[in-house]
Amino acid sequence: MSLLHPQPGPSPTQDKVLIYHLRDVIKTREAEGAGFRLVVPSLQIAMGEKIALIGESGCGKSTLLDMLSMTLRPSKIGSFRFRPERGAAPVDIAELWRKKKLNSLGDLRRLRIGYVMQTGGLLPYLTVRENISLSRRLLGLPEDDLVEVLAKDLGIRNHLDKLPHLLSVGERQRVAIGRALAHRPAIVIADEPTASLDPIAAERIMSLFIELVDELSITVIIASHAWRHINRLGLRHLSHRTHRDEQGTMTETVVSG
Amino acid sequence: MLKRARNIFWLASRDFANEWQMSGFFILALAAVLGPMMILFGLKFGIIGSMLDNLIQDPRNREIHPVGSGRFDMAWIEQLRARPEIGFIIPHTRSIAATIQLNSETSSRILTVEMIPTDQGDPLLPQIHIPTEMHQVVLSDSAARKLNVKPGDSISGSLSRRFQDKSERVYLDLKVVDVAPLGSFSRDGAFVTLALAEAAEDYRDGRSVPTLGWDGAESNEQRTYPGFRLYTRSIYDVAPISRALEKLGIEVRTRAADIDIVRNMDRNLTAVFWVIAVIGLVGFSFSLGASLWANVDRKRKELSVLRLVGFRTGDIVWFPIIQSLYTAALGWFTASLVYQGVAYTINQMFSAQLKQGENVCQLLPEHFLIALALTITSSFLAAALAGYRAARIEPSEGLREI
Repeated sequence: MSLLHPQPGPSPTQDKVLIYHLRDVIKTREAEGAGFRLVVPSLQIAMGEKIALIGESGCGKSTLLDMLSMTLRPSKIGSFRFRPERGAAPVDIAELWRKKKLNSLGDLRRLRIGYVMQTGGLLPYLTVRENISLSRRLLGLPEDDLVEVLAKDLGIRNHLDKLPHLLSVGERQRVAIGRALAHRPAIVIADEPTASLDPIAAERIMSLFIELVDELSITVIIASHAWRHINRLGLRHLSHRTHRDEQGTMTETVVSG
Repeated sequence: MLKRARNIFWLASRDFANEWQMSGFFILALAAVLGPMMILFGLKFGIIGSMLDNLIQDPRNREIHPVGSGRFDMAWIEQLRARPEIGFIIPHTRSIAATIQLNSETSSRILTVEMIPTDQGDPLLPQIHIPTEMHQVVLSDSAARKLNVKPGDSISGSLSRRFQDKSERVYLDLKVVDVAPLGSFSRDGAFVTLALAEAAEDYRDGRSVPTLGWDGAESNEQRTYPGFRLYTRSIYDVAPISRALEKLGIEVRTRAADIDIVRNMDRNLTAVFWVIAVIGLVGFSFSLGASLWANVDRKRKELSVLRLVGFRTGDIVWFPIIQSLYTAALGWFTASLVYQGVAYTINQMFSAQLKQGENVCQLLPEHFLIALALTITSSFLAAALAGYRAARIEPSEGLREI
């Protein structure tokens, strides 16, 4: 069985359920006299959408991803709603931050969000299989063949019982993708997932990644600093403008989409 | 909650096992601190314990010996015997009058021995037949060897005196009911009933002894004894009883000083041991703490991944703590094994000098448990700080290289 090449179904992007709905969210950072501000006047991401966030490092991509993954508290929130399920009422993230319900945010992360890190972020003491099924295990989900299926589609089935250090960097990234998807989250957030790979491997793994999230109907947000293949993979590009004031002490990035 | 606890336990265990070299070094480092400490304490406990046991078991340490000679009558002795601290008391006759010459059929020599009055409960004659009749004696080990006799043998005794300017001698048949243990009396001696000792004194003093048919002058004088043999029930009663006797003007000699020396030594060695133990454990805690602290830095990314996949702050704290508890338990186990080996070797080396069941190096089961509790406590404290640090790792740190 494979998740790839199934029968075509209705595209989830068509019935506009917003998984993220942000308005007037600002994060200000200050360090050594140099300030940085990320401003999000309005951001709407529909369920099933594939979002690309392209830009130089230091432009605020990571700050935005951290806020979307609910690990970084915004300095100012107009409104921030997160709706991980089609039928459910949206969760008021602004409220959770205000009430400092960090454990609720943690539970939400664990259940609804998958992450692909720049370099694996695999636990070196667990086998590939245990790494992939880690999120399932932590959620107490029953054993299911998704782990096997993902491993097969990602081409790492022969490595399931190895420790990560025996794998190449590219294979480790495949494992990381598997782990991000194994518990069927609502959204996968990937920060420079292919930055440590050579261009050919990067392109192949990225295509595989996009295909898998497509098939599992998982929303995805990918940040990258330079990437030629956005259009071909059908990702929506978030627009952002960065400008500096005259003294060069304040950098402001405005993201909307 | 339980599920998360089980998961963090699983992950910490896997990490500990995966880094087995690192874990092994810390287990060995702990064993290297704890093992010698256990051996040191085992030696202290074994040696001082044996010394104290000897003190308690050796009746001579419970003896209160009056210096010089006094005049004690039986009523006074009985009064003293009634006190609860007194284990055994028996008066003795004048030592010059308390000798007897013995000879046996199996030896040609005539042996002059001291007579020591005895009675039931004499601590010098434990588990031994006590003479109850005048013709029964218990010989000291050296006397029995010189006379070449064993329990049950018959010997003859004789006493001589100058009476009315004539040398006289009486003979009496005696039965050896038992031989005293080697340590009880080191000279040639015979433990006899008080009656026989009194009879010998009367005979020598020229008084008649009707029960044995010995002639002499009649006397109605109240008998007094120049001294007595007194043992308290425990070594702790020695000091109060000797103080009480001194208050009555009776100068006494005891081994209280020896007892104090051992008890002082016990106290001081215990203090020294604890100083060493505390220094060792604190040192170990610091080194374990520093390494766990550094581990948190080294594993920052992995720990933040755990936060990212949904572990709560409180769960992450347990990661270094669980690992430190593994180190503590395994290090303690290794140290116990090392101790067992060394203690066995030491005890073998000294086995020739030791009595049966005595050990130079010895620990009780509760000592092992105390060592485990101390190790776990110090490891826990060392890890708590690292755990606190681990808990402050932000989940977003795992998202990218820093």
